[in-house]
Amino acid sequence: MDRRTFLRGVLGGAAATIALPTLEAMLGSNGDALADGRPIPTRFGVWFWGNGVRREHWIPDGEGTGFRPRAELAPLNDVRDWVSPVTGLEIKTATHPHHSGMTGIMTGMRYHQVGTTRDTIVSTFAGPSCDQIAAAAFEGQTPYRSIEVAVARFRGTDEGTTFQHLSHNGPNNVNPSEYEPRRVFERLFGMGPTAPQLDFARKSVLDVVNAQIRGLQGRVGARDRQRLEQHFESVRAIELRLAAGAARCATPGAPADFPDVDGREQLAERNVAMSELMALALACDMTRAFSVMYSSAGSGVVVWPAGANNGLHQMCHDEGAPQPTVHRAVVFIMEQLAHFLRRLRDTPEGDGNLLDHCSILCTTELSEGNVHSNDEFPILIAGKGGGRLRGGVHYRSHGRENASKAVLTALRGAGIPLGGFGAEAGHVTDSLGALEA
Amino acid sequence: MRRWHSLSAVLLLWGCGEGRLETIEAPATAPAPGRGDDGDDGAGGDDEPMAPPDEGLPGEAPAGPPFRPSPATLHRLTRTQYVNSVRHALGDVRLPDDLEVDTPLHGFSTVGAAELTISPRAAEQFEAAALDVTGQVFDDASRRAALVGCEPADAACVRDFFARFGRRAWRRPLAPEEIDRLAGLHAELTGSFRDPWAALRFTVAAMLQAPDFLFRAEVGEPDPADPAKRRYTNHEMASRLAYFLWSSPPDDALLDAADRGELVTDAGLRAQAARMLADPRAREAMRAYFGEYLSLGELDHLEKDRATFPQMSDTLGRSMRAEIEAVVDHLVFERDADFRELLTTRETFVNAELAALYHLPAPEGEALVAAELPADGARGGLLSMAGVLAVNAHHTVTSPTRRGKFIQANLLCFDVPPPPPGVVTNLDGVGGEGPQTTRQKLTRHAVDPTCNGCHQHMDPIGLALENFDAIGAWRTTESGLPIDATAGVQGVAIDGARALGALVREDAQFGDCMARRMYRHATGHLEERGEIGVVRRLGREFREGGHRVVALATAIVLSEGFRGAAPPSDEVEMPAAEGGN
Repeated sequence: MDRRTFLRGVLGGAAATIALPTLEAMLGSNGDALADGRPIPTRFGVWFWGNGVRREHWIPDGEGTGFRPRAELAPLNDVRDWVSPVTGLEIKTATHPHHSGMTGIMTGMRYHQVGTTRDTIVSTFAGPSCDQIAAAAFEGQTPYRSIEVAVARFRGTDEGTTFQHLSHNGPNNVNPSEYEPRRVFERLFGMGPTAPQLDFARKSVLDVVNAQIRGLQGRVGARDRQRLEQHFESVRAIELRLAAGAARCATPGAPADFPDVDGREQLAERNVAMSELMALALACDMTRAFSVMYSSAGSGVVVWPAGANNGLHQMCHDEGAPQPTVHRAVVFIMEQLAHFLRRLRDTPEGDGNLLDHCSILCTTELSEGNVHSNDEFPILIAGKGGGRLRGGVHYRSHGRENASKAVLTALRGAGIPLGGFGAEAGHVTDSLGALEA
Repeated sequence: MRRWHSLSAVLLLWGCGEGRLETIEAPATAPAPGRGDDGDDGAGGDDEPMAPPDEGLPGEAPAGPPFRPSPATLHRLTRTQYVNSVRHALGDVRLPDDLEVDTPLHGFSTVGAAELTISPRAAEQFEAAALDVTGQVFDDASRRAALVGCEPADAACVRDFFARFGRRAWRRPLAPEEIDRLAGLHAELTGSFRDPWAALRFTVAAMLQAPDFLFRAEVGEPDPADPAKRRYTNHEMASRLAYFLWSSPPDDALLDAADRGELVTDAGLRAQAARMLADPRAREAMRAYFGEYLSLGELDHLEKDRATFPQMSDTLGRSMRAEIEAVVDHLVFERDADFRELLTTRETFVNAELAALYHLPAPEGEALVAAELPADGARGGLLSMAGVLAVNAHHTVTSPTRRGKFIQANLLCFDVPPPPPGVVTNLDGVGGEGPQTTRQKLTRHAVDPTCNGCHQHMDPIGLALENFDAIGAWRTTESGLPIDATAGVQGVAIDGARALGALVREDAQFGDCMARRMYRHATGHLEERGEIGVVRRLGREFREGGHRVVALATAIVLSEGFRGAAPPSDEVEMPAAEGGN
């Protein structure tokens, strides 16, 4: 990001900053326990960006702890001890250039085609995305089962949920990401428990809603019963939150809106606000499963701060080798990731920090946007997983190992005792031991 | 003119030329360009052979396999339908602005709404919205009195209100046990609040969060005339009609017609369709349909490079969208015109910034006003409207490929697969040093057989629009070089947008495609194999009837595809998730 853009964001957008209370004071944690004495949890997250990388600038030189990052990983130097690049892995369920990578990395499965067409394929995820596998493992321990946010606005609408959403509970069953910080704030702090009489009324209302859902389930086919079951679970989540009582954190000031400036999205500014809110949600233990969709699969986001003047997906197609603008866009996006990770690292928690207690899969939907490749898949695993992950290790696969291994490593790194991850050719039972403490 | 694509292209597999799939496993049906997009390939799971792309002259198309209806299903309300349904139930209330956006599938939000469900986040939003809008009504003594019409301290009043309001909100008569359940909630909350009005507000909020409000539940019933067949019930038909023709719930007249059993007869449906299509709600709903049919959504947040295009403003994209909507509305509802005029008309609607873009005299005020494009000008018809040109371009430069694809895919239902994997798609370094026009860069597509198999169906069409830049402004040069807007399409030499529009206008596929897309939107699912005959007949009647859109909408409502149901599906989509525990 150039300095002028940055200053405009800070100085011109005084109202755009969020007045958060100091987390340390708010939380009062020490040792390995939260303020209320419970042990510090480990969280699982996904940080996703679209359109891949330029591999000549991505793959570090050297392996293990002594690796030397190239230009696209250099922005992460500051948090290097918490970030392990994983290179040389491959999506084993690749049957289609656009759809397989996204579903492969997020579910370990082939994409699920919606309707039989011969044109552009419309697809969805065949099973839950890895953030929802984590959410299921952590269910009931926090007010929110999971939190989904996004930064860039663009959504491809022609090819199914695979290109519109990141977090899936199952086929065509999505958890849409919220891309306005104000709405994330309202979600976290706006509709929690309030007065007992009001909470009682809301609870009674939701009981009737769920009774109607059960009634309707008796009249429809199995497919629709399943869709209504998700509705039931969604309503039940509100009831559980009401039953759990008041939020654990003080309510901070609300963030402002981030309207376009001269027709340009305020990407960096929105990323700052989202990173702030996510740090807060995690530190306050409002959720233990999260996803940040910086940009969607195949995103047409215009990365103006990188000097782009066309959508990134199109630039991947059109820009001649060696694609300097695409490269700068990847560097910019990694700067954005670095900001997010720094924000977690700079949040004290117990004897360490929030990033010490996270395991975050950072990835994209293909290796390089100009050729839609599914080999040499770009993956970073960030965080120390509460001591389960080493961090700062470059793992290089020399045998085109299954990319699902990295996902399983990240999930186990969050303390989730999974036997395996993925299905069919994407199925694995081994994680990457070199990354584990 | 019969075909836009050469016959050879139909025979080629993936990549429309070179097979580049050696390294990965081919999908079960390798895509080829063609019009087989829409269910010609069957719904899966049956043994009938895949139907070939349409062959033969328009009007001679075979009837297709016997009619087989699509399964009845739950349709979640789209965002617009939800807003309209809340306002129909409660009057003019403000809706929160953070309602979930639709997830379109196969081009249409209604198709996505028949597939997706309600996420935890959406349930939170619906709860917040229900509490918000009921607060607006019930905190106001005169508004709530007008809505309820009696004193809710009286049990009979409350039960009567649930029956009346329930019919509006749930679009059907309520069962006695449902009224019991609501009355029970009201009594419980009255005990808690010691205020029957507050209790009623929360009970109404419950009704707005119930699946009966958020979904349209369709199950169907045996057809008494032929019990082997199944049809939608009268009340299911009321909602099918209303959400298709109005994007709104059925009004009292429509529910009354359902009560009388009129919505399962031709005469009853014809009468209601005529009434509804004359209502302003139909124009609103049709606007939403055309927004998706013509892929205009991006105009709401049009991003173009403002250094390249100083004319760009925060409002220009929305003005472009408003122009297209106004022209469509004028043709369909003001004139009941031959819809193909959309492709050639010189009648349009502009505000000051559009007038400046088009070099027309600037009108007063913000609103769009009628204007006529010059008879000897370069503009005329949809293909030279700035919105279409801008959406199907990049942020700084044009894309003949995207513009060509828009015409093929959106207007002619001729779909082209994405580039095969492993193909480097950039066009730099073609044709040597120095400035080049987009046309020159695209020569790579024409000379490289890997590219040309598909690009021959897109690029030449789009090249005819090269006189319009990435925001649709007129230009005669690019990079200092003169623009050449000639193209050979179908062996016909054309020059410019108006000639292209005239060519598309004469293609029978334009009418067939329109019928197909509107049927998809209306029924909320990708057309299945058993519906091909219905879709073809609708297309033929649309063409032969002079391309009247109102008549097409009426014909869809009357068609067996809109009225006939298969039993709800028992296919469960969630496979066992491995590693999920």
